[in-house]
Amino acid sequence: MTTTLATTPGLRVETGPALLQHVELGPSLAAHRTLHPARPAPRFSDLAAAVRSVGLSGRGGAAFPFARKLVAVSTAGGRRPVVVVNLSEGEPASSKDAALALTKPHLVLDGAVMVAGALRTRELHLVLPGEGPDVRRAVVAALAERGRDDRVRVRLHDADPVFVAGQARAVVELMSGRPNRPVTSWQSTSVSGYRGRPTLLSNAETYAQLALLMHEGPAAYRRHGTPDEPGTTLLTVHDTRGSRVAEVELGASWSEVLPDLEPQRAVLVGGYHGTWTPAAELLRLPVSRTAMDARGLSLGAGVVLVSDTCPLAHAATIAEYLAAESARRCGPCLNGLPALAVALRRVADGVGGTGEVERLSALVTGRGACAHPDGTARMVRSALTSFGDEVAVHARGGCRYRRADLGGDLS
Amino acid sequence: MTRVLVVDWPSCKGRGLCHELLPEAIDLDDWGYPVVTSTVSDQLLVNARKAMRACPTLALHLVSERT
Repeated sequence: MTTTLATTPGLRVETGPALLQHVELGPSLAAHRTLHPARPAPRFSDLAAAVRSVGLSGRGGAAFPFARKLVAVSTAGGRRPVVVVNLSEGEPASSKDAALALTKPHLVLDGAVMVAGALRTRELHLVLPGEGPDVRRAVVAALAERGRDDRVRVRLHDADPVFVAGQARAVVELMSGRPNRPVTSWQSTSVSGYRGRPTLLSNAETYAQLALLMHEGPAAYRRHGTPDEPGTTLLTVHDTRGSRVAEVELGASWSEVLPDLEPQRAVLVGGYHGTWTPAAELLRLPVSRTAMDARGLSLGAGVVLVSDTCPLAHAATIAEYLAAESARRCGPCLNGLPALAVALRRVADGVGGTGEVERLSALVTGRGACAHPDGTARMVRSALTSFGDEVAVHARGGCRYRRADLGGDLS
Repeated sequence: MTRVLVVDWPSCKGRGLCHELLPEAIDLDDWGYPVVTSTVSDQLLVNARKAMRACPTLALHLVSERT
């Protein structure tokens, strides 16, 4: 079953097995309480044990073990922690957090409220997308429905609509009233974040997964997924049929998730900071962080972008976009990413070699306040690595993708 | 423990004094921004401190890392 979100043109949200069950019931608190009548208020030790038992990882892209983050915040000592839900999705290809806000806002809020209670804090911050009025409306409406029952003070923040605004340090800057851009991190935000306080900052899906885990218990949570990777994950899929957010069980095969995917296409997995791969390669793999990491593919924030054109030209277009999205604060990013995009475009146009791309990729990596240069270099390199034979075709003035009935050029 | 030079990138304006004072551990990239090429040994420590103090934006830091 599919629910089309009228407020977000073109975005479809499919009913899923766990987080997105019964999307058709709507986002109201009443619908939520029908599905999840209990209102657990776990102690920290029980919450951390449950999280550890299912190996819940962060869903913002880095897949950091959530239990480690919880422990870092709870043992940082001194001042009361702060809980932050990041709904801002700076990644333009990702819509899963918007989908959650629009269809299951109370699952996200339940998770955040449970963690706040377990950490004995009442301070909850929600970071909303700057260009997502529908997300803001949905969250404000959900908060109004809940009234004062949660015993938390909620503050809303509107992120800037730029790629790097969702990065952890940039979010702390926004909360602190400074420009919403990354700064150098000398300590993890878990230890010293907002106003120097221990700050639990995670993505909206992470809190929704946590809420489901505590509502249903670890045994029920484990009914989905595999023994090694229990549960589900949200995906934002872009293909010839449009864009959709879907929830899939971990361990499912990509060929089941993407039955229409033609093996000759190129796919960008994980988002604009992700990894290019031939579809044929992806179709042999399961939706599993472990199995995909072993092949150099990161699931990231769950974006799957099926290209309708040549991967080299498409990667160059994305690199140009990412170069323009630099916060323009760090020299290597400000200067290096445009140069890298030019070098890749020259390869795509068949007039430049890969040596300059490799050199610039290595040069920008690790040299910035945030991972924007690193992620951009990873995406660029993967296009060359995964489509090395296509690079050779381009060097001779050809391109197999334009001939292969894949539609028009992206750019 | 190893001593590592860390650049506070948003502060660094690429003036290049660190490279002048510590070429053994700092190179410059195509645009004049520092590229840290090695850790700071005991022999380099005095010049590393000079480079940190000379930086007009105080963007160069020395941190200890567990090896």
